[in-house]
Amino acid sequence: MAVPFANTSARLAATGCLTPFGDSHATFTALLAGRVALAPAPFLGSDGGDRVPLALCPGRSLDESAPPNWAAFLRPFAATIPGEGWGSPRRPVFVTSSNFGVGSLYAFKRTNDAQHLRYGTPSKCVDWLRGELGWGPHVTTFSHACVSAHLGLLQATRVLNAGLADEALVFSFDFLSPFVAGGFHALKILNADFPAPYQDRPTGSIGLGDGAAFAILTRDRGDFAFLGQSLHNEMHHFTANQADGSGFAACLAPLVSLAADRRTWVKGHGTGTLEAGRLEAQTLATHFPDSPLVSWKGSLGHTLGSCGAVELAIAIEALRAGRTPGTVGSHAPGFTDHIAFEPFANASYDTVLCTSNAFGGAHAALLLAHA
Amino acid sequence: MTDPLIVRLKSLIVDALKLEGVTPEEIPDDEPLIGAGLNLDSIDALELVVRLEKEFGIKISNSEESRTALASLKSLAAFVRERADPTRLPT
Repeated sequence: MAVPFANTSARLAATGCLTPFGDSHATFTALLAGRVALAPAPFLGSDGGDRVPLALCPGRSLDESAPPNWAAFLRPFAATIPGEGWGSPRRPVFVTSSNFGVGSLYAFKRTNDAQHLRYGTPSKCVDWLRGELGWGPHVTTFSHACVSAHLGLLQATRVLNAGLADEALVFSFDFLSPFVAGGFHALKILNADFPAPYQDRPTGSIGLGDGAAFAILTRDRGDFAFLGQSLHNEMHHFTANQADGSGFAACLAPLVSLAADRRTWVKGHGTGTLEAGRLEAQTLATHFPDSPLVSWKGSLGHTLGSCGAVELAIAIEALRAGRTPGTVGSHAPGFTDHIAFEPFANASYDTVLCTSNAFGGAHAALLLAHA
Repeated sequence: MTDPLIVRLKSLIVDALKLEGVTPEEIPDDEPLIGAGLNLDSIDALELVVRLEKEFGIKISNSEESRTALASLKSLAAFVRERADPTRLPT
């Protein structure tokens, strides 16, 4: 079922992200230089297990503490969000995550220490965060796996366009835990190989990374704009897409006509898996045939529910700098001819298509431009 | 002569995947597992891989290797026989 296209434009007053490289500018600079944040690490933390590509914030342990050790990274990051009064009626907050504090639930299971339970469920985790970050009560939580951030952006846009808020803060985070790494490892897609998004090779693999991001949306203020947004869930299978790529295409459909006569580059999802990566690349090549496609997950790993917002912040840095980082970690041959393995100048492009895809056949896309 | 490994694998498949209305004896030796025959999906494959790794002490490295091994009962038996410690195979 596709979300109706109307009323999905908004302005972006500010964005920012946090990755193991640092803030959005540091992350952008590292990607431009082709650096890889992923490193081999045991997927069960101190409990060991196979070594798989993970990207943790420097000094952070995969094992959870109470309070969660990622709070020490989130607090200073949240302090960089401009403006005040977040969580007030006219300045609501939309929190998005795929996993919230699930690492705390795993820690409770291991240790039986009830202190972990305070952070384990989405509602408790967000409630605690709200207090930590000094937000008012108008905080709404969204979660839909790896399109969570897009979902938050779209809902914030609708609230703004309905006149229910003056500005909206979308705050997205996902920090790794043995539970999350273990789940992906069980699927065999998180394995000893490093991810190479959109590369045509015999085996696929992903990496996982810590990530957090924010975006401040307004109706009429900001250097950048969403020209349109789209969500679609093909409802095919928990872990597989329809083999003809129609799920990917359905999400892109509302934005194809909007992007007509505009030169567009594409920030894709590109985790490093083969089947979904091939379908994604081929569908994008069909509907955006002249658009170079990049993914940065070969460096940062998949930051899960926060990926849409993290990579949006990096795309904004790329637009400001006039240069787009290439698909770090990958090289030819690609699934299609339009994969950009190397950085390229983007000043001659009018728009950026930012896409994310998720378990359950969920797809999300937005068209970004200078305002 | 019936291959004891294939007999064991049939039983394991029915048990691991909780296949209702199917007995191990009803599964042909050359039954496809993915894409046809039992037509297991990725979640079924995951459950089966976990059981196989536990029972036979083998390691399946990635999803492509899993797909190759699980193409059919015969390919699965060959895969297990190649990777497992012989002392863990049924006789």
